[in-house]
Amino acid sequence: MKHEKPPSGPIEPGELPVVKAPDAIWDSVLASLHAEGAPARSGFRWWQFAAAFSLLTVAVLLWYSMRPQPPSWEVVRLDGSPSVGSKRLAETGRIAVGEWLQTDASSRARIGIGDIGTVEVEPNSRIRLTVAKPNEHRLALARGEISAVVSAPPRLFFVDTPASTAVDLGCAYKMKTDESGSGLLRVTVGWVALESKGRESLVPAGANCRTKSGAGPGTPYFSDASDALQEALAAFDFENGGSESLRVVRAESRVRDTLTLWHLLSRVDPEERVRVFDRMVELMPLPDGVSREKVLDLDKDTLQRWRQELAWKW
Amino acid sequence: MDWQVNQSDREVSAEIIECCRHGDRAAFHALYQAYKDKVYSISLYFFHGDAAAASDATQQVFLKLITGIAGFRGDSEFSTWLYRMVVNTCLDSAKAERRREPLADAARVARIAAPASAETDLARAEVAGKVQAALSSLPPKLRLPVLLRYFEDLSYGEMAEALNCSLGTVASRLHKGHKLLAEKLAKLRGAAIGR
Repeated sequence: MKHEKPPSGPIEPGELPVVKAPDAIWDSVLASLHAEGAPARSGFRWWQFAAAFSLLTVAVLLWYSMRPQPPSWEVVRLDGSPSVGSKRLAETGRIAVGEWLQTDASSRARIGIGDIGTVEVEPNSRIRLTVAKPNEHRLALARGEISAVVSAPPRLFFVDTPASTAVDLGCAYKMKTDESGSGLLRVTVGWVALESKGRESLVPAGANCRTKSGAGPGTPYFSDASDALQEALAAFDFENGGSESLRVVRAESRVRDTLTLWHLLSRVDPEERVRVFDRMVELMPLPDGVSREKVLDLDKDTLQRWRQELAWKW
Repeated sequence: MDWQVNQSDREVSAEIIECCRHGDRAAFHALYQAYKDKVYSISLYFFHGDAAAASDATQQVFLKLITGIAGFRGDSEFSTWLYRMVVNTCLDSAKAERRREPLADAARVARIAAPASAETDLARAEVAGKVQAALSSLPPKLRLPVLLRYFEDLSYGEMAEALNCSLGTVASRLHKGHKLLAEKLAKLRGAAIGR
């Protein structure tokens, strides 16, 4: 059937005359070709596909290169084979928001905190980048130890641990924690605030502060405080040491340890608060503008002013 | 090169087509000369005698031919390829300008069928006008196969390629078109005889 000719139909030959095409049509065709810039030597269709493919490729590459990238920070391998996500870190790499950096027993790495500082991650650590914004740089230390050096206005860099959040106030510090949240903060330069559930410990250079899951940050103390003070303070903070622990702390305190006593004022009952206050006054006379009554009432401004005066000795 | 095409040949030579593929404008003109009247006539009768629409369609067909001939691989006859462009162009234009369809009135069609010549056989012109009126009353999908069959001696297979449908569809449409046309022509011719 394919090659068969269909029947001619009811129209007789000549009943529909062939009409001559107007001469102007060819001129119009040529004019249209000229107007469209289509060359008479139109070439092969492959170039049209090639051009379309090239345009598509360029568009895809542009989209790929310009698509919003998750913020990331640079990571440098210091020792061993740290990993970022599921990949081993070569000499350098990047950690994106949401990714974990992990070190084993023999590896270390350094994370650039945007352009405000660095964090060195010690062995057996696991840390995640959670926020990388110009006004908030935040890591979550699940376990292990870090050393942070930050050169930026206060409250731009944060490290969350299972028990608290370390808020940089312009400083250098070391921090370690286990997976339960028990850990220790050691400040070497400047100040760090440890915060959890409305409780805050202000830790200056040379001082330490323990943390414990459920209890949050403990009371800060200087690293050169007596062992007895440190043990008694740990007992008070995390082991219900009570009055006996406080008695030891008061007895062992030096002028510099008013850091510890000042924090205890707001963490003890009113009866103990009087004893702590009296010991502080024994060590350092009350400055002008700071009254016994207001201190014992935990007046915020008064406590703040007294802390600023005491800080000269810390 | 000055190409001469024998218009009685159904297929232009492979040499002309090859020259067209390489952009030879003289070869294009030879192709145009070979097919322009049939393309124009099919368009004109398809558009119920609308000369402007037929001119536009013819121009579009040859523009497509010139810019697309590189895509003609010779898998089918050149004429089949060309008529497929005619079919597509006519159907596309008809879709774009549906207003042309209601113009299928006998008076208008008669005007194209009766050339203003003193030598014209008036009786013959009258018959032709009635044929065109009957043709114009067919739906486009039936009108095109009838026109292709009338103006070009295509096989079922070639018509199927040109119309982009199956052999069975071509046969069915052509049969239906011819049947409707025969009925209408019988009435028209009968009326003419009865006058």
